[in-house]
Amino acid sequence: MKSEYLIVLAAIVLFPAILSRDPKIGIRGNWKPLVKAMGITCALFWAWDIIATARGHWSFNPAYVLGVNVAGMPIEEWLFFVVVSFVSVFTWEATKYFMRRQ
Amino acid sequence: MEYTVAAVVAAVCVILLDRRLGTRVLRRREFWVFLAVMYGFKLIANGYLTWRPIVIYGREHFLGVRLGTIPLEDFVYGFALIGLSVVLWEYFRGRQARPAGRNSAPQADVGRAT
Repeated sequence: MKSEYLIVLAAIVLFPAILSRDPKIGIRGNWKPLVKAMGITCALFWAWDIIATARGHWSFNPAYVLGVNVAGMPIEEWLFFVVVSFVSVFTWEATKYFMRRQ
Repeated sequence: MEYTVAAVVAAVCVILLDRRLGTRVLRRREFWVFLAVMYGFKLIANGYLTWRPIVIYGREHFLGVRLGTIPLEDFVYGFALIGLSVVLWEYFRGRQARPAGRNSAPQADVGRAT
């Protein structure tokens, strides 16, 4: 199924996206530092990924991506870093919250 | 083994950046709990991506050692990606909280090996 990589990304981000709205997690109202941190992380890893993909470090199975490429990479791969950097910050804040409570 | 080298270099850069920015995220016990949680989810997501496989690795660019279907390098790579995200988040959030004019922290210079 061509949408499989996209579905994996959606599955990763679904619960963090919903739960990050909880004011107990320190993300709400802190959009500026979040966008800066995600922006720089994505920019660096996009650059790495473009080079690594071009050099054949890895490739993407055409059976599981939509087939829309930007700079030689499927759009799913571009989204991957947006998803993972966001989920990282969310899980970090959630971990701090639960460890504070103990 | 270009991927192997790139992943290790990136991980070292993140460790150095955490020290240089003064965020000291890696010194917190919470970070290692957080990393363990992330690796837990990573085993599922990364495991699926490499099992299908959705992502295919170039044989000559990694060591060839896999945990299940996941190349060893992916764990180092993941550390760099996850680590950079939270180090920068802590840095920018801390800067926002600090009063203006007291900003003696170095600029967010994420250029490699500065």
